[in-house]
Amino acid sequence: MTELLQMGLTGFNLGLMYALIAIGLTLIFGVMRIIQYAHGEMFMLGAFTLYYWHVEFGLPYWLGVVASAVIIFGFGAVLQIVLFRPLHGKNILYSLAVSLGLVLIISSTGQILFGTTVKGIPGPVSGGVLMGGTYLSYERMVISAVSAALIAGLWFFLRFTVTGLAIRAVAEDPDTSALQGVQTKRIHWIAFGLGSAMAAIAGCMMGTLLSIVPTMGFLATIKAFMIVIMGGLGSVVGALVGGMVLGMIDSVVTTTISGDIALILSFVVIFLVLVFRPSGLFGQNWD
Amino acid sequence: MQHLDRAHKAAWTGLLIVALLLPALVAFDTYLIHVAITITLNVALATSMWMIWSLGFISFAHAGFMGIGAYTSALLLTKLGISMWYGLWLGALMSGLIALIISVPLMRTRAVYFFMASWAVGEVIKRNFAYFRDLFGGWDGVFDINPAKINLGFVQIDFADRVAYYYLSLFFVALIVLIIHRTNSSRTGMMYWSIHENELLAQHTGVNVFREKVIAFTVACTLAGLTGALYAHYQTYISPKSFDIWKSEFALVHVIVGGLTTVGGPVAGAISLTIVDELLRATGYFRTMFFGVVLIATVILLPGGLETIPGRLRRLFQRSGK
Repeated sequence: MTELLQMGLTGFNLGLMYALIAIGLTLIFGVMRIIQYAHGEMFMLGAFTLYYWHVEFGLPYWLGVVASAVIIFGFGAVLQIVLFRPLHGKNILYSLAVSLGLVLIISSTGQILFGTTVKGIPGPVSGGVLMGGTYLSYERMVISAVSAALIAGLWFFLRFTVTGLAIRAVAEDPDTSALQGVQTKRIHWIAFGLGSAMAAIAGCMMGTLLSIVPTMGFLATIKAFMIVIMGGLGSVVGALVGGMVLGMIDSVVTTTISGDIALILSFVVIFLVLVFRPSGLFGQNWD
Repeated sequence: MQHLDRAHKAAWTGLLIVALLLPALVAFDTYLIHVAITITLNVALATSMWMIWSLGFISFAHAGFMGIGAYTSALLLTKLGISMWYGLWLGALMSGLIALIISVPLMRTRAVYFFMASWAVGEVIKRNFAYFRDLFGGWDGVFDINPAKINLGFVQIDFADRVAYYYLSLFFVALIVLIIHRTNSSRTGMMYWSIHENELLAQHTGVNVFREKVIAFTVACTLAGLTGALYAHYQTYISPKSFDIWKSEFALVHVIVGGLTTVGGPVAGAISLTIVDELLRATGYFRTMFFGVVLIATVILLPGGLETIPGRLRRLFQRSGK
């Protein structure tokens, strides 16, 4: 029983972080209809920004998370303006190819610059508490709280601010919202930067909890895509639910059976979801 | 139109002649022949992926189906001693069979969702190779997949020789490209492009969209399986890593850089990018980075891909002629 609870808590924790990555991706797809394949690289860069800030330069941890989010926001916005804007409205494959190229460039540059050794970021808090036989580390609790707060924050931002409304309008119908006076170009880079910043913060959290290597982005991309597809592209709720499902599968099956089976099982689950609901759990039908 | 057809024919014939004479042209250099064989395999993979694209979707399960063909042929040889001549066909057949079974539920999904669902299929195929160690050898893979020898009485051909294998794979690749080209220019190809343009309208004009999709996917995966079997007997070693998502991604990149509208596109893309990749080998660590730069530069600076170059040149000359 306590084992199950432990696994459940780990799964919840993982699920929130997965959801954080996936929400960024779903935001980018929803607004621009591009497949941002280099999303995991933003996650990786975010984690390394925090590593250099906190470990190499010894600056405060939480300020580092903010700095990482701001830097990756800027980087994402610049990428959108320079590379993805010229391809807007063209075949989706072209933007896919560009983001594939970005994956190659960023991950190999990362390997050259950061080295291939595994690094770790020391957490901001330590210790934990034993509750009914289940160990709760403060680190995990803080990280879960930050992830949950960010997801809630993004939801409020999309729901109650003018920019958030504009983002949702562009996702709904770019032409009509442009006619209503929304500057779609501006919304595009804001959404891209915001999505990337979410991934960067998730990278900081994941890097603190686990370890960081320059090749970690690829796995994050895979996970994010699995979640987004399961939940439905463009749906924030879907990403949250998908993240939870995937986090639970990862935690429970990896501890009880094996990591390989966990991955096979999660792909089978997604396949079945898509067969019975071809646009994901909460998705609309994009053409 | 007439002179265009003639130009196309001349280009294809020229390519075939160069391909046939290639071992002599590179003075039987083993490394360059290895590059040539890699090119032929990449051309086959990219072309069969383009065939799926002609219906308007992209399959990331392609490397997985290539793997099914490769593993079938390899295991038939190493476990049962059945030679490559049967393995090639059985591998292709197995890949097609699995593609047929999977494509029925898979075709319910559309557009971006299909793309992701096919990714899941490819990844599950690869993970199965890795997980069932007894049958597939796990992450270590399968060794000693020797190519066949044939005895023609007066002369013995050993396909472990690279020149011989080059001609063998050239034959199959030419066959694959021919099959896809013929399909594409037939009435069936027109139906495929009608599905590509507008699925709903195609359905209403009497095209059985679901059936055409399943058939096209199966045929393309069969051809990918054949390519995989060829790959296995050439490398003599395969592991799940050989058939991961990057293989599909590179095939897709070849298609995008080459061009999306004609069969010449993937052929041109696969040839040129494989050469670029080999040229970058000298740069060591920076290889992947440069490849990424070449990829982005091509997409941004040359929209439409390599296949638009003849058209661009013609326009340039016409303008300067006036």
